[in-house]
Amino acid sequence: MDNQNINQNPAPTAVITKRGVKMNFEGKIPFRQRLVMRLTSSSFWIDRVWYLFRFILMVGISFVILYPFLNKMLTSIWPLSDFSNTQVNMIPTRVSFNIYVKLAQHWHYLRILRNTLILSVLTAGLQTFVTCMIGYGLAKFRFKGNKLILILVIVTMAIPHRTLSLSLFQHFLEFDLFSIKATNLPGLFELISGHTIRMSNTFWPFAILSATGLAFKNGLYIFMMRQFFHGVPDELEESAYVDGSGTFRTFFQIILPLSIPMMITIFLFAFSWQWTDSFYTNLFFSSSSGGVGLMPDLLKSAPPTLEVTSQAIKGPYLEAIKNAGGLMVIFPLVIVFLFCQRYLVQGIERSGIVG
Amino acid sequence: MTNTQNAKLKLPRLGKASLAERKARKGWLFVLPFVIGFLLIYLPIIIDSISFSFMSIDIKTNSEGESYTVVVQHGLEYYKKLFDDDDFLKKLLDGVLQLLWEVPAVVIFSLFVAVILNQKMLGRAVFRAIFFVPVILSTGLLETLTASKLSGEDIDDGSGESAADEFISVMDVQTLFSTMAVGRELVVFIVKLVNNVYSIINYSGVQMLIFLAGLQSISPAIYEAARIDGASAWETFWKITFPMISPMILVNGIYTIIDSFTRQNNVVMQYIADDVYPTQKSLATAEYWVYFLIVFAIVAAFAGIVSAYVFYQRRD
Repeated sequence: MDNQNINQNPAPTAVITKRGVKMNFEGKIPFRQRLVMRLTSSSFWIDRVWYLFRFILMVGISFVILYPFLNKMLTSIWPLSDFSNTQVNMIPTRVSFNIYVKLAQHWHYLRILRNTLILSVLTAGLQTFVTCMIGYGLAKFRFKGNKLILILVIVTMAIPHRTLSLSLFQHFLEFDLFSIKATNLPGLFELISGHTIRMSNTFWPFAILSATGLAFKNGLYIFMMRQFFHGVPDELEESAYVDGSGTFRTFFQIILPLSIPMMITIFLFAFSWQWTDSFYTNLFFSSSSGGVGLMPDLLKSAPPTLEVTSQAIKGPYLEAIKNAGGLMVIFPLVIVFLFCQRYLVQGIERSGIVG
Repeated sequence: MTNTQNAKLKLPRLGKASLAERKARKGWLFVLPFVIGFLLIYLPIIIDSISFSFMSIDIKTNSEGESYTVVVQHGLEYYKKLFDDDDFLKKLLDGVLQLLWEVPAVVIFSLFVAVILNQKMLGRAVFRAIFFVPVILSTGLLETLTASKLSGEDIDDGSGESAADEFISVMDVQTLFSTMAVGRELVVFIVKLVNNVYSIINYSGVQMLIFLAGLQSISPAIYEAARIDGASAWETFWKITFPMISPMILVNGIYTIIDSFTRQNNVVMQYIADDVYPTQKSLATAEYWVYFLIVFAIVAAFAGIVSAYVFYQRRD
């Protein structure tokens, strides 16, 4: 009986692939028939049209984003002679990487790359972890003052640091805890040890701001994480608690792996904003110290080896140097993004709850 | 005697309360870095900044040629003066009106793009990388590259807006809509969108990535269940994706409001920084704080309305 059945209707064959088990239900249907069935189904065509539509849309929007860069990229590979040649418009007569090479030599590009990479990875990593922790605390624990802290987070998000630059500068020049400069009252450090801590020209301001969730746009990250964790079902932690896992172990082993896409996104934001930052470095590093050799230095001034004497082409040429510098700043970031975006894929079971 | 009796009676309840208390205390541990930082570092900075708006600092030179600073207390003078500053009030209104179309436009656009970039497509990684470029430039920190580019209005030739203009001219859109029987407000809204395609795309980068991360965290099992039950893609979007992403819509809405208001090239921020700050620093500080209060009020109103509709996958 059983044997007969199998002969009439071949059992679907299962193939184990990387993504799971693929069932083949169509074993005995001839290829031609399958093709016709496929081509006549409406869902097949709707899928194809939708695919084409969104592809064209993405190409169009990408063009709008990249169009301004096209001109900048092209002028930066103009050879010097093209700047005085009125016939040249956008497309250079020959490709010259002179500006890039000279910029890289003058600013010691590899050293700058290394310095910026270390600073950006450390601050971004710290910010990602700290904001993740704060977001978790705000989302999952109902203690008194929870709502108030959330409001304060949004307050820090809404006040741009640029408008606070004077106070920020004063406070980190002579760092002290809870010192209000306007009243001239001593802060906690001054009360205890008698003097404040000078923090200009060090990386401490970055570390302190990152570790307390106050650095650039950290309010946004905390709020993002809070909203994300608020949506994670409580059952997940409860089952971990029942199994005897403590709060922190649950956080590290159950919750953090869930939030990898969120953390990658926050890391990318923090990393790229630290990478391109000139506001904070200008604020916390005095110009007389000659800078620390970070990415935005590339844009500060043209290297002497690239100076031209002709007044007529000076303007556009300087512009081209700045564009080249800007592209040299952005390019490593795009590489980092391409690397990180692989983790932004759906398909991993994250909620851990079935049914 | 009575004491021990009471203790005995309360024991079960005490135990329960202490469990909740213990959990609450652990919550405090998680938010402790922020609380410490806010109280000990951020609050003094804010207080200092606010106190600048109550006084003016003059640099004077004495008879021996040495300069010294004189602090003059003004009380609420600058806050009264600010309401006579007609330009400020007018620009404030402009900023709020701009917000009314910008927030929905940016949020809807970025959600749309995020949904598309979440589906499998040829060259998806490249498209994502291109959409990441506005994120890098959105802060305006890399000024040399953004100077002629991100300021939507005063754009020079060869830059992005003209590229957008070449695609669709405003007149076409207007004639297209005049034949349809739709409300005038909608036409005005659409025309504004088309005119500002370039800036909307560039302001949506951050929101797009946030939505993308939010979409990643929706469990594929839910989609699978819906597919088995025969839900169409349209239904799946409105019944699954939209509610599951709604917490991030709240984040992005608030972020868009704040970003729109506090961006370097916002009309009010620009006015205060360029026209008021160089001559009257204290008045500028006062105007900043009044402005931020208005931003908070708008954010609070928005959050109050939207959070009533946000769906969280948890029991309350």
